[in-house]
Amino acid sequence: MTDTAPIRLLVVDDERSLREPLAEYLAREGFEVREAESAAAARTVLVGFAPDLVLLDIMMPGEDGLSLCRHLVETRDVPVILVTAKGESTDRIIGLEIGADDYVTKPFEPRELVARIRSVLRRAARTALPVETDIVYHFEGWHLDLLKRKLVDPEGASVSISTAEFRLLRAFLDHPRQVLDRDRLLDMVQGREAQLFDRAVDNQVSRLRRKIEADSRDPQLIQTVRGGGYRFAADVQRKAAG
Amino acid sequence: MARLWPKSLLGQMLISVAIALLIAQSISAALLWRASENRREEAVLNAAAVQLIIGPRDQTSRESRRGANQRRTPELRGSNGPPRRGLRLEVTDEDPRLQGDRPDAALETRLREVLQNQNVVPANILVTQRLALSDPFIRERPRLVRRLDIRGDQSSRILVAAIQMSEGGDWQVARVPLQRARGNALRTIVLQTLFIFAILMGLHFLLLRRITRPLAMLTRRTELFGQGAAPTAPLAAEGPDDIRQLVDAHNAMESRIAALLDEKDIMLGAIGHDLKTPLAALRVRIESVDDAAERGKMAESIEDITRSLDDILTLARVGRTGAPPEKAQLAALVSSVVEEFEDMGKDVTVSSLDRIAYPVHLTWLKRAIRNLISNAVRYAGRAEVSLLAQDHVTIIRIEDSGPGIPADQIAGMLEPFTRGEASRNRDTGGAGLGLTLARAIAEQHGGKLILSNRAGGGLRAEIQLPPANV
Repeated sequence: MTDTAPIRLLVVDDERSLREPLAEYLAREGFEVREAESAAAARTVLVGFAPDLVLLDIMMPGEDGLSLCRHLVETRDVPVILVTAKGESTDRIIGLEIGADDYVTKPFEPRELVARIRSVLRRAARTALPVETDIVYHFEGWHLDLLKRKLVDPEGASVSISTAEFRLLRAFLDHPRQVLDRDRLLDMVQGREAQLFDRAVDNQVSRLRRKIEADSRDPQLIQTVRGGGYRFAADVQRKAAG
Repeated sequence: MARLWPKSLLGQMLISVAIALLIAQSISAALLWRASENRREEAVLNAAAVQLIIGPRDQTSRESRRGANQRRTPELRGSNGPPRRGLRLEVTDEDPRLQGDRPDAALETRLREVLQNQNVVPANILVTQRLALSDPFIRERPRLVRRLDIRGDQSSRILVAAIQMSEGGDWQVARVPLQRARGNALRTIVLQTLFIFAILMGLHFLLLRRITRPLAMLTRRTELFGQGAAPTAPLAAEGPDDIRQLVDAHNAMESRIAALLDEKDIMLGAIGHDLKTPLAALRVRIESVDDAAERGKMAESIEDITRSLDDILTLARVGRTGAPPEKAQLAALVSSVVEEFEDMGKDVTVSSLDRIAYPVHLTWLKRAIRNLISNAVRYAGRAEVSLLAQDHVTIIRIEDSGPGIPADQIAGMLEPFTRGEASRNRDTGGAGLGLTLARAIAEQHGGKLILSNRAGGGLRAEIQLPPANV
């Protein structure tokens, strides 16, 4: 993020009633915004305009958002946030699978949208958190599917985990058998949702233990290290999904 | 009897045929037996008639030579001539009737006819059956007893036929042993019955299988369809025409229902899209309202509408997920919902969590639990959640210590658009679909939602799931 030049956004939505006020709002928030009412129009705009991020409606007459998203990911290195009216988790997976960076459902809170835009851009700039790809981590009979955000136990049953727990577990799996102190974990777990910034790491760790430890009072996988920190005490293998 | 009666079409048909066949065979066996009895009587009567017709002529000369009163030696017929059934004719002036004899009028008439045909017209006729051993003529002659082999068998009977040519004249008495009915006949009938039965059963079995197999397939298919399985290829029609027509009709109905449901999904998607886009526009527009309090209320209203819309769309889609349920750890699932409430600063606690893996529709079941917890939080300010297995039934229990629901209103609470009277906090209300949705989701999982008032006050809501068949 630079303060000198405004961030350039392209808003693609066939509904004028939403597109125009959204563009106005984002402009008020300090973005430079261009609009397109269809995928075809977006392609035209893109000829003379290089956005930093594209906001893309999935359901559009003619070429739909997913198709344009695929095109953008393949031809330009530009982050995409998908906007949809449907809340089905399969849509989210499809969107992320074809390379979208984030996903919001209508009606969204404009402030949250702005926060997400900034978060995606920050991540794209830093690339500190690797982009979610179709990698599956394996440990002690468990596996964690990054793309589907799905944790499956040795019995083959899926175990529900929150976004924060998912990030925490992933941080552990990326650094097995290493001591990670709270600041480091907090840094790695910080995501897009504001609430995570002040969420105590210890609390998240104890929640995660409840879900993956056979006995959360006697943790075997996530061990507490004297002197402040945690260590994931198992071997981890990373494999491509499929 | 009711226990033995088979329940399946195949069993009932086979039993019915067996019973019908048994009755028919019994009747025909009875008729056959009667006919053979008649034939036997006829033969015996004819044998007696032959003796009576031949006898007098044969003996008149001898009789005149030997004198009327003399009794002839009872000899068996000699070996010359055709073998005769029966014993030598007795000619006597005594009345051959014994005490206890019952004259057989039908046979007497029959005998009279036979004799008449031979121009023998007696004045009196007597035909009767009696025990061989009660007959004095036989009893006096041990050789006869031996020959008839009746010593061991007290019940051997003979037919006695006597004629008196003129009133007061001599009686000519013919005796013919009655042969016992042979067991053979009965055995033949039984064997024949079994043979017919086996063939009929075989044919019926083959025929009925052609009907019941497609019926069983149709039943299975209808069950699956009823459980919400997406229809695949139409069911293959086989068997007799009637069954084929039924299968064809079922296929037509299934595809029509599937088309209607697809249509509904498309329509719901369109409604969702068409309402959510203007809501999103509205949500963006209110950001330009300067009064923060006013803006907050507007945002709340929009959220309220969105939540109601989601509830309605979700309720309409329950059971149409398409995806099969996936095995999940219920403890983690319940915890993750409880943690959502913890993060919102609500007082929701977990009292016990059994470790249970169960096939579920994850997002749906979470939604049901979320609805129940948020009800408890809304009416009682806090909720206590537990997960337990009792007698193979998995129970997700949400309890509060709020006002509960009057017993007569519990059933009504599950109906759509009903809210508890005690709702003080209407603006968190939603469409009143929370419990309806929770029930629909419980049913989608093959379970049920049970509401009851706790003894100590407060409401207990339980999602009860049947034993998983995985």
